[in-house]
Formats: sequence, structure tokens, C-alpha cells
Amino acid sequence: MSDKKNVLLKIDNLQKEYGDHKVLKGITTTISQGEVIAIIGPSGCGKSTFLRSLNLLELPTGGTISFEGTDITDPSVDINVMREKIGMVFQQFNLFPNMTIKENIMLAPVKRKKMTKEEASDKADELLKRIGLSDKADTYPAMLSGGQKQRVAIARALAMNPDVMLFDEPTSALDPEMVGEVLNLMKELAADGMTMVVVTHEMGFAKEVANRVLFINDGNIQEDEIPEELFNNPKNERLKEFLSKVL
Amino acid sequence: MKRVNWKAELLTVLVLVLLIGGICGTKYYQKQQEEKKILQEAEKEQKNKVKSVDDLSGKRIGVQIGTTGDIYVSDYEKDGSGTTVERYNKGADAVQALKLGKIDAVVIDEQPALVFVKKNNNLKILDEEFANEDYAICIDKENTALKDKINKALAKIQEDGTLEKIKENYVGSEDVKGKNPYKEKNVERNNGTLTMATNAEFPPYEYYVNDKITGLDVDMMKAVCDELGMALKIEDMAFDSIIAAVDSGKADVGASGMTVTEERLKNIDFSDSYTNAKQVIIVKTSSAAIEKSSFVDKLKDNFITDGRYKYIVRGLGNTLIITVFAVAIGILLGFLIAIIRTSHDRNGGLIVLNGIAKLYLTIVRGTPVLVQLLIIFYVILTSVNNKILVAVIAFGLNSAAYVAEVVRSGIMAVDAGQFEAGRSLGLNYRQTMFSIIIPQAVKNILPALCNEFISLLKETSIAGYIGLVDLTKAGDIIRSSTYEAYIPLITVALIYLAIVIILTTGINYMERSLRKNER
Repeated sequence: MSDKKNVLLKIDNLQKEYGDHKVLKGITTTISQGEVIAIIGPSGCGKSTFLRSLNLLELPTGGTISFEGTDITDPSVDINVMREKIGMVFQQFNLFPNMTIKENIMLAPVKRKKMTKEEASDKADELLKRIGLSDKADTYPAMLSGGQKQRVAIARALAMNPDVMLFDEPTSALDPEMVGEVLNLMKELAADGMTMVVVTHEMGFAKEVANRVLFINDGNIQEDEIPEELFNNPKNERLKEFLSKVL
Repeated sequence: MKRVNWKAELLTVLVLVLLIGGICGTKYYQKQQEEKKILQEAEKEQKNKVKSVDDLSGKRIGVQIGTTGDIYVSDYEKDGSGTTVERYNKGADAVQALKLGKIDAVVIDEQPALVFVKKNNNLKILDEEFANEDYAICIDKENTALKDKINKALAKIQEDGTLEKIKENYVGSEDVKGKNPYKEKNVERNNGTLTMATNAEFPPYEYYVNDKITGLDVDMMKAVCDELGMALKIEDMAFDSIIAAVDSGKADVGASGMTVTEERLKNIDFSDSYTNAKQVIIVKTSSAAIEKSSFVDKLKDNFITDGRYKYIVRGLGNTLIITVFAVAIGILLGFLIAIIRTSHDRNGGLIVLNGIAKLYLTIVRGTPVLVQLLIIFYVILTSVNNKILVAVIAFGLNSAAYVAEVVRSGIMAVDAGQFEAGRSLGLNYRQTMFSIIIPQAVKNILPALCNEFISLLKETSIAGYIGLVDLTKAGDIIRSSTYEAYIPLITVALIYLAIVIILTTGINYMERSLRKNER
């Protein structure tokens, strides 16, 4: 079904090595517009490295990544322009502690000259309203709970109007009672048609929201299925073992 | 409740008893010690008494470093008699040490000795003179043309009696002394400026009066310049720097009661002698006659007489100017180096710049700041005569190295996630550094940075080595004319302390307001 839609990201034989240690051993897949992809796998399998390669926070040592038709691994490509279109949300939120919530959201659009200050301010107000934190606009990140921080981090990425959002274990650093508010926001995004790639341990979210689940193990994609099939009828032995542990 | 009170009272009484007992005990002990000390000193004095030149052997002798006294007395040091030579930066320090009983005699030029003895009635000059010597003007060896001109001028002022009058005015008998200060002639000065290096702590040859350097050498040089049709410029510096200054071209001539010696002739040439002088020995008379003047009199003498407070004002101004501009250079260059170093560590690249930065840090942090200051003044910026500028550059370059490492540690301490968050939003390296990383780094390093600047402020106290009147040197100038250590030194210390306390308070306030957003 994915071939019917526009291909957004085309990953071909992606490899990453740290010295002798091979983390990614040649990953090939495509991500189409509107897809919500959950990436699962045991820790140390390379799923975070894979995600972080998609906006070159990790420099691949082999293979190519093409984003909207441009090979971003080509050194002559201005990666900063590419990154404007690829939003990212981190496990540790990484909000800028020296700026207010609103300044956090406005920084990139203004610095990258995507918007004027006024436009960015309007955009920030709109996003804060959407995530229900309008009253926190002028406070600093230290005053927020973990769940609120992560929602602001998502809003900060959305301010650049990205074509795809990468989530690196967005709920792993949260207290359990705060996981829900972040997942709900992500569900809303998915419902609005945002293309999302989510590294997650939340199998519930993967089942409910994702329309594809990738199981990465040992530096390779070992299963690539719709959620029902992958969770109910796992074929790969390692996947079965993994699911028996996490479900 | 009651029991506690009772206990507390008992404790208070106990503490009081201990305190009073302690004070009484210490006082008694101090008194005993003082008596013992007086006895010991009397004994020592008897043993160490210097009555003639022959007695010098085996004693503790004070001299001013680099003077002829130093050169002559050094021979005693080598003769195996156990003589120790204490070399002071100026004659007044040696005299001070003699007064405090730290040395047994001071060998020094006669004229300054007369001034010292006049101001201290428990000192005397031995009748037997130590050596006779001729004073001359030192000139760069290459500059024979200037030497000829100066010799001719000297001959001229000797012939017409000008030189004799100048000498009388400073070292003559009481009835002619001070009566005939030299008046500069109204001549055309088309032949440029003659820069004279001197050490203005050597009355009556050169010393400060009302913020101006004056003295026999100064008037003599003025007369010479009148003959040559040149303007005279005077540079004050440490005595042992004068020859280096003339040699390096910082000054054209040196005139500072300087005797022609073989050692000096190796490096420098001398004019004909313009006057002769004696080296004499100053000793203590007896410890009894210490004159006590009141504290108010002392304050007056140190600050009001001859407008001496002006040295402190000017010195403080210079210290602040040097510190502020050096801090500015330190911050700019320090941040630049830190950014080069961290960019290199993070992205590779900038190999050449990083190499230069590393070399710079190694050299600056591996050598004393005083040596750097002297090298910059005498070796690198030989043609720059603005001493404040030289000091600003030297201290700024020095500070930059320390600031760079502080900033680098601050940048490294910012969580890597902050950098990734900035880059993932599309900000480039520079934008990420300047709008996200550095503001956070600055906040982290503010206390360390403040400490760096406090130590820089204090380090500028060595600026006097290049003859610049900073706060410390101002205290020294007063000290060398009042022979009083306590008031000028404590005043200078209190001023430094006050500035540091103000700085610390300001930074604490700034730190608190910056931390507001982190709770």
C-alpha cells in the first residue's frame, strides 16, 4: 500500500560503523508520505542509530539516504536546509534551559529566516494553544513537568513545518502518568497525516497508531509488517523472543 | 528549657574565662618574647656591627640591584667569608631592611645615602668611603654619532659653568642647595626627541616631586638637550632595565647615576663622565632613637605632602584601565580560541588554527606573566612607547589563554543533547554555538571567569616592572620618598581589596539573576 503514495525517504544499504563495530549492516527501506512507522527492537540493536542517521546526526559510513529526491549523504548538500524539513524529538527533550517556552519554539523559524518574529510568535501561540500550554509561554523549561517538556519539544519541532517527524524514544524518560499526554499528542499528529518515524518501547502505541512496524535486530531490519501481522503472527525467532519479553 | 539555659550560661562563662585567660597569657608571653628579642638584637647588633669597610666581610649587606654597590659587594660574596648580599629593587627598600635589622649595612651612592640618613635619625654614614666612581650617560654602542654630540654638549656646559651650577643645586653645600634650579633655555628643538631612561627612585639624581621626575641627572640632560636642540623625554623604569632599554632602542640614553664598569661596557657605551660620586656604607646607630611621629602626621606625610595622593589616584586609574582593556582582550581572544578548539574537537577540521591555539596556550600558561610582560616590552614591541598599551596587550594575551580553557570547559559541560537539538532544527554550527551553547556555557563558567579577572587585576601589580605607574608602583613611589612601609602598602592593599569585593558582589548578583530560570 505504501507504493501508492509519494516516497519521502528512500534508504539504501545504510551502514554505520564505529571502528570495527558494525552497528548498521545495510538497511534498505522506504518511507512514504503519511506513514507512521514504529521501530522496535532490543536495546543496542541499532534502532536509535538508524533514526539519528535519517537527519545525519549520525554520519553513515556507507549507503545513501534520499529525502524528497535529494541524496542527503552527498557532502555538497546543505544538510541544514534538509533538517529544516525533518523534525526531531529526543528522549531527554533537550529544551533550551536558558530560553522561555515561547523562545524555544520561535528560535529556529526566526534564525533560519523561515518566518519573521511576528509570524513565529503567532505560530508559537497557535502551537502552545494546541498542546494546551498557552499559560506557560513565558516560563522556563525548568518549571515544567516531563510530559509538558516533551509536548513543548514536539511543538518546537512542528514550528518549522517539517515534512517528517523523527521520535527517539519520546516517552522513555517520562514518569508513567505522563506518558499518556505525550502519546495522545502524537496520535493527533498521526491523525492529521504527519509522516512519523518513532523508535519506541510502547507496544500499545505501535499497535494502535503505527501503520508499519520495523523490527530491527543486529543492525538489520528483520521484520517489516503491518502491526496486526507483526504482533499476532511473528515469523522471526528473535522477534518472538523479544515480544515474549516486552508484552 | 531551664536546664538548657543553665548549661548555656555555664558555657558562656567558660568561654569568657578561657578567652580572658588566653589573652592575658598571650600578652604575658608576648612581653617576655619582646624582652628576649630586644636582648637578642642587642647581642646581635654588637656582633654584627659594621664600623669600617673591613668589617663588611661576613655580614649581611644590602644593595640596590644592578648598581655599582651591587657589583663591588658581590666580590665579598665569593670570598668564602659567609657574606650575604641582599639585592633590593631600590635603595629605599635596602634602607628599610636595615632599619628593621634584617641586614647589617647598606652600600649605596653617597647622595641618596645623605637623603636617607637625613630622614632617619637612627642611621649614619660611615666616615670611611667604600669606593669612588664616575657617573656617565650610557648610549647604544652603535650610536657613536650621538655619543660624540653628547660629549661635545657636556664639554660645553662644563666650560660655561652650567654643569657646576646644576651640581651645586643638588649636591652642594647647604647655602647653595636648591637655590638655582636649572631653567630650560628657549631654543629651537628641531633635532627630534631624546628619550632618557632612568630610575626615578634615586634622590637627588632622579626622583619624583609633584608627579614630575626631577634631579641632578634630569637637569644635566635638560642642559645637554638645550645644547643639542632636542626635546627631552624621560622614561622611568627599574634600574636594572635601563641598559636593556637603551640597547633595545626603547630609550636613546640612560642617565641614572650610572657608573662606568667593565661589565656594563660589554653591552653599552658611555659618554664622558659628568660628575663623580662616592659609594658609602650606611649602618644603624642604636636602636634607642626611633623617632615616633603621630599617625596623623604620617598620613599627612604619605598623602598630602607634595601631593603624593596623586600617585595613588593616577596609579589606580592606570591599574583599572589596564585591567578593563586586558579583560576585553582576554574575553574576545579567549572565546575565539575556545571556539576554535571545541570546533576542532567536535568536527575535526581547523587543524592549523587548532595547532596555533594549542601552541599559544602552552607557551602562555607555561611561562610567568612577568617574563611575558618583559619580553613583550623589550623584545617584541620595542617600538611601542605607550606602556599602558604594552601592559594591556601583555595582560590581555596572558588572560586569553586562561579564559580560553575556562570557556572550553564551559562549552564541554553543556549537555551534548543541546547541540543535537539545535542542529536537528536546521541551525548551522555557528548559530547553534552562539544562540544555544555559549549562553549556557557563560552561565556555567561565570564564577571561574570572575576569579580569572580578579587574579588579573592583582597580576597587573607587576606592571611597575616596565616603569608604569600602576597602583602598586604608586605605593612604591610614596614609600621611596617617605621611607614608610606601613601606610602606603596597607593603603594599596585596601584599595585592591575594595575593588575585588565590589567585583565579587557584582558577579554574585549577576549570577543570581542568571540562575533565576533554572528553578
